[in-house]
Amino acid sequence: MSRFLTHEIGSLAKPPWLVKTSQGRELEESDVQHARAWGEKVGVEGHEELVESLERGGADPDDVALWSSRYCVRMQEAAGLDVIWDGEQTRSEMYAWAIAHANGFEPRGIVRSFDNKYYSKSAATGPVSLQEPYHNAEFSFLQSVAKARLKIPITGAYTLAVWSYDEHHTPKEGRLGAGYGRKQEVAARRELTLDIARNLIRPNLEALIELGATWIQIDEPGASTEADELDLFVESFNVSVEGLDCLFSTHLCFSDYDLFFPAIEGMSGCRQYCVGFANYDRRELGDSAADRPGYEVISKFRDLSYEPSLGLGVLDIHTDFVESSELVRDRILYAVEVFGGPERIDVCPDCGLRTRSWEVAYEKLCALVEGARLAEAALAYRKGQAPPESRLS
Amino acid sequence: MADSGIQLEAFAPGMYPRSEALVQATRDLDRGRTGQAEVDGQVEHDLDELIAAQQQAGLDLLSDGLLRWQDHFRPLLEAAEGLETGALTRFLDTNTFYRAPKATAEAPRLSGPLDGRYASPLPGPRVGTLPSPYALARGTGVSPEAMAEHVLAPALAGLDAELVVLVEPFLAPDGAAPGDLEPALEALSNRARLALWFPFSDAGPLLEQGAADLPVDGLGIDFYATHLDAVPEGFDKLLLAGVVDVRSSVAEEPEEIARFAARLGDRGVERIALVPNGDLQYVAEPIAREKLARLGRAKAAA
Repeated sequence: MSRFLTHEIGSLAKPPWLVKTSQGRELEESDVQHARAWGEKVGVEGHEELVESLERGGADPDDVALWSSRYCVRMQEAAGLDVIWDGEQTRSEMYAWAIAHANGFEPRGIVRSFDNKYYSKSAATGPVSLQEPYHNAEFSFLQSVAKARLKIPITGAYTLAVWSYDEHHTPKEGRLGAGYGRKQEVAARRELTLDIARNLIRPNLEALIELGATWIQIDEPGASTEADELDLFVESFNVSVEGLDCLFSTHLCFSDYDLFFPAIEGMSGCRQYCVGFANYDRRELGDSAADRPGYEVISKFRDLSYEPSLGLGVLDIHTDFVESSELVRDRILYAVEVFGGPERIDVCPDCGLRTRSWEVAYEKLCALVEGARLAEAALAYRKGQAPPESRLS
Repeated sequence: MADSGIQLEAFAPGMYPRSEALVQATRDLDRGRTGQAEVDGQVEHDLDELIAAQQQAGLDLLSDGLLRWQDHFRPLLEAAEGLETGALTRFLDTNTFYRAPKATAEAPRLSGPLDGRYASPLPGPRVGTLPSPYALARGTGVSPEAMAEHVLAPALAGLDAELVVLVEPFLAPDGAAPGDLEPALEALSNRARLALWFPFSDAGPLLEQGAADLPVDGLGIDFYATHLDAVPEGFDKLLLAGVVDVRSSVAEEPEEIARFAARLGDRGVERIALVPNGDLQYVAEPIAREKLARLGRAKAAA
């Protein structure tokens, strides 16, 4: 058998020395020590230059962001991940970054996500178009520093649409008491979503492919917001990627995944679903169905006719609890059992780890990789085989 | 409309958005960069601004905007014995989430009114907001009636409100019958003047099933999702007409709202309150302020 491919999902926390530099705040010694210690720990070449710059003060925030990218690349490589990104260190945020580089949107302030967490929300105010490809600089830089293979996360059309107000397609008057129902709302959303897919996402993808991208993950955390718009989510994915020569995957998280079926049966351009499951699972060991309630739905992904692989989320990103490698192993072994073999299983976190400290994120990623190795050993033992070779090699 | 014999008022129940300054203050508090006193000061400032905005708009009842509430349930869950916060859950089809109520005892109880911080003093008659018994009980295994008697009734007692709006977002999407809520509302009906508010949903099916006969003084209907014709002829309660769309960033035209109020009057509705179709917190504070102003202008134009 081959090795399980391990990979990131997207974001990592921004270190204090980047946050404070970006905000023009003074650094404390502990911030500089953070840069020094992590530079040594994960082997960031030339990190002394950053440390000196931070100690001296007045560092250029853009330069510091690139250093942060280097750190995140090396952190994931040091953890042993096969496919990596830089934790989106140079992006503002997954929604705001895309909208800031698009024509046809205007900011409309901040809205509560939950508790004291808020997000920026914009309104579609006109036809959507791309100002300039907004991941090219990031990708080119990472090509120059990464040793591992790269997978580029990019926010998908449906999520951008459903997280925005729509002042362009929704009538401004005449809706009051008129029974302006779901049918009209869906029609308006369809226009906006497909506009984004065709004129923002697709040209962005084309630009990345032109630069040499081989794997692009289209993030759609908003995909299940409207249960009756899943066909639109699928259509927007297909419009975004159809005919382009690249491996396209999508990331779904924190949803009732049953909702996606049968709609995603029509999403055959998606070669992998990276899905968060650990959030719903138990923490006790065991590789039976009863032991792994969070993974009950994976058989539906198995049964998709176009046989995509599954990026199996094995790390709960909402907690500092660090999964043991044995727990990761058992989650993988259960998935292998359901899928009837390891060929269509990759291993990843549930979602981006940006809400965790680097310490916790790194420990979790190490456990993920070690768990994958334990699962390979267990499967080899069952078959009386030697340990596997890397799927990438 | 004053000449038509129709009684028209306007107010804005529910959660009002925090200002960017307050959002930053709470964020700083979470990160240990500021203290509770600074956040409290900013809450007071936001409240003063909200009161002034409502007064300038000429609204008939004042709301404190639930500025300290993290969601519709949180202070109740934190104060009641036998209730706690559960899973982070999407609020209907929005991108805003709440901690779902979770029961840890068969009969949860609130021993008295909520802490005064959750119902700030106001310089005029108040419209209060609480979750409906069904919404609070949903998924907990506790009956709406028990929630009404032992949790909501003590909370109501502390509100001193001219009208208390019970927010009921789930009855319509769940396909539940309004009659299921009747015993719970009966348990509250002699304690305050109540309205049941159905945000973000077509209330037509609920009205067809007799929602207008529920033991409350008023019903709140989202007229961006509900057809005018769904209002029963001879509707004799206070109609909280959701005429400001809090899911849209566009400011409404007061004249259009005024014309709509007249159509409600033509349909025989005699008591109308112009309200938003849900919590104003689904738009940013500057937009919410503009929508409040237009609500007042719509009332004046009607």
